[in-house]
Amino acid sequence: MGSAAPGDAAGRTELASAPSLPALFARAAVTARGRGGDLPTTRLARTGVRADQQQLAGYARVCGFGLSDVLPPTFPHVLAFPLQVALMSDRAFPLALPGLVHVRNRIDALRPIGTGEALDLEVWAERFARHRSGATVDLCASVSADGAEVWRGRSTYLARGATPPDGAPEAEVTVEVGDVPDGTIRWLVDGDTGRRYAKVSGDVNPIHLSGLTAKAFGFKRAIAHGMWVAARALAALEGRLPAAASVDVAFRKPLFLPSTVTLATAEVGGGWDLAVRNADTGAEHLLGTVRPR
Amino acid sequence: MTRKAAIVGGNRIPFARSGSAYARASNQDMLTATLDGLVARFGLQGVQLGEVVAGAVLKHSRDFNLTRESVLGSQLAARTPAYDVQQACGTGLEAAVLVANKIALGQIESGIAGGVDTTSDAPLAVNDDLRRVLLQVASARTVQQRLKALAGLRPGQVVPDLPRNAEPRTGLSMGEHAAVTARQWEIGRAEQDELAVASHRNLAAAYDRGFFDDLVTPYLGLTRDENLRPDSNVEKLAALGPVFGGEDGTMTAGNSTPLSDGASAVLLASDEWAAARDLPVLAHLVDAQTAAVDHVHGGEGLLMAPVHATPVLLARNGLSLQDFDFYEIHEAFASTVLATLKAWEDPAFCKEKLGLDVPLGAVDRSKLNVNGSSLAAGHPFAATGGRIVAALAKQLHEAGPGKRGLISICAAGGQGVVAILES
Repeated sequence: MGSAAPGDAAGRTELASAPSLPALFARAAVTARGRGGDLPTTRLARTGVRADQQQLAGYARVCGFGLSDVLPPTFPHVLAFPLQVALMSDRAFPLALPGLVHVRNRIDALRPIGTGEALDLEVWAERFARHRSGATVDLCASVSADGAEVWRGRSTYLARGATPPDGAPEAEVTVEVGDVPDGTIRWLVDGDTGRRYAKVSGDVNPIHLSGLTAKAFGFKRAIAHGMWVAARALAALEGRLPAAASVDVAFRKPLFLPSTVTLATAEVGGGWDLAVRNADTGAEHLLGTVRPR
Repeated sequence: MTRKAAIVGGNRIPFARSGSAYARASNQDMLTATLDGLVARFGLQGVQLGEVVAGAVLKHSRDFNLTRESVLGSQLAARTPAYDVQQACGTGLEAAVLVANKIALGQIESGIAGGVDTTSDAPLAVNDDLRRVLLQVASARTVQQRLKALAGLRPGQVVPDLPRNAEPRTGLSMGEHAAVTARQWEIGRAEQDELAVASHRNLAAAYDRGFFDDLVTPYLGLTRDENLRPDSNVEKLAALGPVFGGEDGTMTAGNSTPLSDGASAVLLASDEWAAARDLPVLAHLVDAQTAAVDHVHGGEGLLMAPVHATPVLLARNGLSLQDFDFYEIHEAFASTVLATLKAWEDPAFCKEKLGLDVPLGAVDRSKLNVNGSSLAAGHPFAATGGRIVAALAKQLHEAGPGKRGLISICAAGGQGVVAILES
């Protein structure tokens, strides 16, 4: 955060450019030990951010979105993610970034966002919560254009074995969906999907990149990014999503690469219930809801 | 039951120059965006239409169902059927004729005709020799057969086959063919450049007066056709060197259409369907005709088929060539338009080739391509027909009821499509 202005009284720090994710992941790894305490109140922000059209085209291709003048509803997460990683890799953050598992993600897309709009991003951490196998924390993002909020994101991460502070609330990691029987949508998820998504999203977490790097973190094979699975599922509903929507997805069993999975969709109240399952075992990788706002 | 199909309106994205603003967009991206623009314009969200018909000239093999896939990705009801057509540069107009005919027969009440092309995201084919070797390897049953097949591999086969704008049976590019015709008809350099300047001037004026406000939806940062040069003039064009027809050729980059990317769509319907939805009827598609010439062995110009289609269409409708308020002659090349006009005026040609005792006669040039055409807008092959149909329908509507327009589009393979619209 070399170019960061000093934080103001409310703990808000504005960054002039997106922090480098490989450097942050490396720093988080070497400073993983000895963390603890409560969540920092820091807020990191960037203003006037525009989507890089080349990155956007690559992101659309990897996730299956068409190239239009509106951002995919998951794309603002890609813009905010480096700030969230900067927050989590800072020594003041109580949990070690390596080993954090993305278990749930909520998005409120308040209106369609044009691909050329200048966006103001702000991220913070909140809701340090108690989970049966550790603790969860929410990394939040608010995206505004012309002073009005247009998009909200809330990514819930699980730290296994971590201890939340006294009086912490219970973690909320499940998403209730109705009956979503498997239909006919089947994806052959290639072995290089993690690398392809890493390239367009910047999320170079080693558990997604190769079998070898995933093993170092306790996974038998590389696993797909949860946000890729979510984006791919929303892309499959291209043309059938509400213009303003709330998306809520729970990431369940890891999606090992390569895999064959099914996407099940059920129309519910102008929105959708979704399930991504392993085609062979039926194991659930993602359960989610899309509701009009 | 026959009735005339109504043209309700159209939508297209600005046309981009090859390798530019739409370099990363696929045909499906552009066609889907164009359909969604039409959906937004006419309130068709979730509406099931009779049929969507569109096509592309340069198409990846994976895009076999390009139009249907675009419909599925659009906001139209998923139950809207669709199919692809391909008639080179005639694709877009032919698609409109097909939709209009089904409406005329009462088989459907509404439909969209469209077209899309990209020269930026064009398919690259595996070198044909390599393709044959790989197919032999794939079908080999034994290791010996496989090794024998693999022995056919040669280093030169790694070079892919680039799509070429060349006629398969003559090996000449379209521009080279047009240069032959230009020479045959003694089409001069200056008149070609003048036609090109008029195209830019007319298109720019149409944009300036807001004519395209309800015909074009911005896409990927473009709001106007990228090729448009409002300040184009004959002095600038005169400075360009010939690109077709050799050193003394008359055809330049300025009076030939550039390779371009884009998509267009037109909404057609029965009058009843339009009225029930409170939608306008800009014009009706009255009739259409195709023709083809033998450009391989018959000594005829590759792009001259519309010259033959037009008298057939006029005769069937009891019209003369002068009975039109507007003419849209697709500007593949300025020389093509000029050769077409000259042929219709030529007594010998009209007598010998078209079997007419009296030549079709002259076209009032002030009624020709009044809102610009392909030289200024660009020409994403299959998208041109939809651009012309929608713009002409709107022009006729503005001029008042009972106005008539003629569309003429030449196409690769020595083919042509012509049609009559009437407000």
